[in-house]
Amino acid sequence: MTRTATRAALVLLALPAVIGVLAVDAHARRARRDAQGPAIDAVSPRLPAGDLALSGGARWLRFPSMEEPGAAFADGIAVPDPDPAGGAMAPPIEAWITAAARERAR
Amino acid sequence: MTPGGPIPSLLGFAAGSLWRRKGRAIALGIGLGLTVMLVAAVLFLTESLRAEAARAQTGLPDVVVQRLVAGRPTVLSEDDAKPLAGIDSVAAVRPRVWGYVFLPALQGNVTVVGVRDGAPSLDGISGALEDGRDMRHGAHEMIAGSALARYMGLAIGDTLGMPSARPSPQLRLVGTFGSAVDLYTADVVLCDEADARAILGLDPGQATDLAIDLKNPEEARVVAGTVIDRMPGARVVDKSTLARIYTLAYGRRAGLIFAACIPALIALIVLALDRSSGLSPDERREIAILKAVGFSIRDVLLARMLEALLIASAATAAGLLLAYAWVFWLGAPGLRGALVGWSVLYPQTKLTPAVDLAQLLGIAAATVGPFVGLSIVPAYRAAIVEPMEAMRG
Repeated sequence: MTRTATRAALVLLALPAVIGVLAVDAHARRARRDAQGPAIDAVSPRLPAGDLALSGGARWLRFPSMEEPGAAFADGIAVPDPDPAGGAMAPPIEAWITAAARERAR
Repeated sequence: MTPGGPIPSLLGFAAGSLWRRKGRAIALGIGLGLTVMLVAAVLFLTESLRAEAARAQTGLPDVVVQRLVAGRPTVLSEDDAKPLAGIDSVAAVRPRVWGYVFLPALQGNVTVVGVRDGAPSLDGISGALEDGRDMRHGAHEMIAGSALARYMGLAIGDTLGMPSARPSPQLRLVGTFGSAVDLYTADVVLCDEADARAILGLDPGQATDLAIDLKNPEEARVVAGTVIDRMPGARVVDKSTLARIYTLAYGRRAGLIFAACIPALIALIVLALDRSSGLSPDERREIAILKAVGFSIRDVLLARMLEALLIASAATAAGLLLAYAWVFWLGAPGLRGALVGWSVLYPQTKLTPAVDLAQLLGIAAATVGPFVGLSIVPAYRAAIVEPMEAMRG
């Protein structure tokens, strides 16, 4: 086998090697995450739902699984709303700042 | 043929042929690799988020009941639980107190959740709490998400007063959630129900919603129908709907990202069509010479197939590796904001891969198979032409 052919064979082997390495790494990471299951099982019943804390801004839905189904102004049936109803109206930030300042003073 | 058998020889010939046209091969490989990377990264991230959402579903109530007024959710009375508790198959109805509070300092919402007295303690559960201990009822204590505590500069023992329409107590931080649950609790404040009511402006006896646990979870849909009969206008969400929303949400977001990638995908299809529509005069002449020196049609096709296989294998391997590294090693910068969400209090936890061997093989097969297949057609057309005729053009 020539050196060029050997190099080419190595290139062909790169794909199964990468797939194998990624599958093993993913399996190991999943096993580590599964070991954290008891903590998740203990905390999740205290939360309103199992939604991920990824959309907690002023405009975005924090618990879409509970707020979206049958929502008054959803874009579609059982379809999460990318721009939730009411999102165009900003929260009364000034009023809340005043309330927070009043709270601190007390 | 050279020693080593026909396949190694053809492989060496194919590699040499690619090297002679390395500019084109590299351009094609980079285009294919980047496309694989983008598609694989979106799939990796979507599957990972769905898996994380599914991980916390064991704690979900079987049915959640909310009251609607003028089409909008509003608070309900704890007394609303009584007629529902009598439904067959209902094991327990739990009024829950929770809601959102906007913190001007964060310019974002936190989720305040009231914990009923008698809830199982988090102390001693490995990974549930990063620092401190579980809260005690009646002591104006709270547990907060680690991201929230960090952003607010709170340490164990510090107090926090939250803006509220009514006088509400300052809460002492006694514990922060561990990284194992950071994805669910980054913006959460757990306190006792009385404190949560004061902060959220709920009267005693009022609740945000009712959580119903069933003796037989399979009867959730039947119970949901009975709840609506007994509580007209209620909004009832069963566990299967709660679980399905995440499949829909991330499916839709992934679809939007794929839609945004359509120009890149079209460019790749054009490249692929370029391969399938024909060969350059140089390539035709090369095939003719090969046939003239004794290559069979099968050898020519095999050589062309190996050329395509070399490009596709290298590009797919690089694309998969880069996508994996982008999502799970680097945290998907750039992609995370578009697909995941826009939280102010972002969880710091790295995502866990949900992708398995079968999915990786599927992506590889879906890329390599068509790419190699497309290369054979024009090669066959050129290989069946007589060498002299091909060399004359």
